Amino acid sequence: MRRGVMGTGAALAALAAVAAWGLAAAAPGAQPSKAPIDVKGDAAARPWKRYPGWPTRDESKFNTLAKLSSPPAPKQPRPVPALTGDPAHGEKLVADRNRGGSCLACHVMGPAGGANLPGNVGPDLSEIGNAGLTDEQLFNFIYDARVYNPDTVMPPWGSHGLFSDQEIMDMVAFLKTLKAPAVFKTPLDDPDKRPVPVEKRDNLDPMENPALWAIDKAKALWKARGPTGFACATCHSNPEDSFKTWAATMPKWEPRLDKVLGVEEFVTRHARATTGFDWLMETDENRAMSVYLHNLANGAPIAVDTSSPQAQAAIARGKELANRKLGQLNFACTDCHGKAANRWIRGQWLGEPRGQYDHFPTWRTSLQAIWDIRQRFQWCQVNIRADELPPDAKEYGDLELYLASLNQGLKESVPGIRH
Amino acid sequence: MADKPRLKIPSEAKKGDIVEIKTLMPHVMESGQRKDKDGKVIPRKIINKFTCTFNGKPVFSADLEPAIAANPYLQFYVRVEESGTFKFAWTDDDGTVTTAEQSITVG
Repeated sequence: MRRGVMGTGAALAALAAVAAWGLAAAAPGAQPSKAPIDVKGDAAARPWKRYPGWPTRDESKFNTLAKLSSPPAPKQPRPVPALTGDPAHGEKLVADRNRGGSCLACHVMGPAGGANLPGNVGPDLSEIGNAGLTDEQLFNFIYDARVYNPDTVMPPWGSHGLFSDQEIMDMVAFLKTLKAPAVFKTPLDDPDKRPVPVEKRDNLDPMENPALWAIDKAKALWKARGPTGFACATCHSNPEDSFKTWAATMPKWEPRLDKVLGVEEFVTRHARATTGFDWLMETDENRAMSVYLHNLANGAPIAVDTSSPQAQAAIARGKELANRKLGQLNFACTDCHGKAANRWIRGQWLGEPRGQYDHFPTWRTSLQAIWDIRQRFQWCQVNIRADELPPDAKEYGDLELYLASLNQGLKESVPGIRH
Repeated sequence: MADKPRLKIPSEAKKGDIVEIKTLMPHVMESGQRKDKDGKVIPRKIINKFTCTFNGKPVFSADLEPAIAANPYLQFYVRVEESGTFKFAWTDDDGTVTTAEQSITVG
C-alpha cells in the first residue's frame, strides 16, 4: 500500500467513514469538497517525460506557463545585413514545414508551395512585391515584426533563432517577386472559400468512437479492490445516479492543495486516499476513469464554480496565462484561439475557446488515442516549440478552470471524437 | 483485458426481412511491412479470417489481408426466416479465435 489512509485491519467504522466521504464526493456546487484526497506528492510521473513520438527539442530558453525567459522584443528595426538574397531558395524556405510550420500556414503567397491549402491568419502576400516596402521593412517583418506592431501574432523568426539572416534575405528576395494575385487550383485551396469543418460522426456510438471502449475498462476498475481492500464501488455503488453532474462541476479550487483540481488529478489523489490504487495522470487507468466519469455527466451543462474568491483568483491567473507568449514561436493561447480564431492555419481550422472543452477526454482519430484536456494543453505547447509542464501543474489547473468558465453552460458530450 | 468485439444487430425482425449486421473487432492489424525505429520489421499480426453463422449455417465469411486498417469493421446484410443466433468468429494470425454472438427474434 503506497499512501492509503487505512491499515489492512480497518474496522467497520472506517468503512462507514468511507461511505460518508462518498456522499460528500457526489455533492456538486461551490462548497469545498470533503472527499478524502492524498495531498502529498505529485499526481503525475516525475521527472515528467515527454510522450513517445513527440518532438524532443530543447526549448528551455523560451517562456513556458511556469517561467518567463524569452529574449525581449527588439526596440529598433535592424539595418539590412550586407547579404544577397536568393529568391529560389527563399521560395523553398517559405514552404518549409520543418521550421515552425512554414509561412504558408498563415499567408496566401501566390504560387508558393503550389498554393496548396495556405492559411489566412495573416494578410495575403501574393502582391507584396508591388507594395513598395523597403528591404529593411521586409527584413524586419520576418526577423521580428514586433518592431512595427507590438500586438502581432507573427513569430519572431529571426530574434528567436528560427531562420538565419541569410535565410531571411532569401525570403525577402522571394517576396519581392510576388506581384500577381494568387491563382487557386481548386476552391478548397482558397482559405476564404474553404468550408468550415463540421464534426458529423456520432461520438457516442462505440462503432464510431473507440474511446467508448475505455468505459468497459473503467467499470471493471470501479469494482476492483485496491491495496486497502476497498473498491470505488465500496462507497459509490451506483455511479450512474451519483455522478450525473459531478464531472461537469470540475475543475474546482481545492484548498487542501492550494490549486485547481480537474477530474484526472482528483481521481489520482482520491484513489490513493481510499482504495490505495496509484492511478497516475496520463496512464490508461486514469484516462479510462476520466472518460467514464465525464460520460456519466453527459448532457449536464458545464457548471464550474466561478463565484468563490479563490475560483475568481484562479480564473484571473488562468486568463493571464492564456495571454502569455510561449515558446520559440512566441504564441499565446489567445493568439490562435482569440485573435486568429475562426481562420485557417494551413489546413487546420482554429476554433474559439468556447466549444474546446465539453468533449474532453476525446478520441484523436489521427493518433488512435484518448487525450484528456491536460495532454491537449501539453501538445499545444510542444507544437509551438515551448516546453510543456507536467499534467498536474498548478498552472494547468488555473488554465483549465478559465477554459471551463468560457464553456459554462455547454453540455458535456464525452468522449468526443476529433481528427 | 483485450477490448471486446462490438456488434450492432436489430433484436427483432419480421420473417423474410433483410437485416443489417455491423461488426467491429478491436485489433492492431499490424501489416508486417512496417519497421520500428531501429529498422527491424514489426512482425505481421492481423485478423486473417472472419466468419458469421446463423443457427449453425454459414451466412458470411471473409479473408482479411494486411492492407486492412486497425479495428476492422465489417457490415453486411442477411435475410432472416426464423429466430436464432448469429455467431461471429475472428481468427488472429497467432491462432487465437475471438467469438461473439447475439440472437434475434423473428416474428
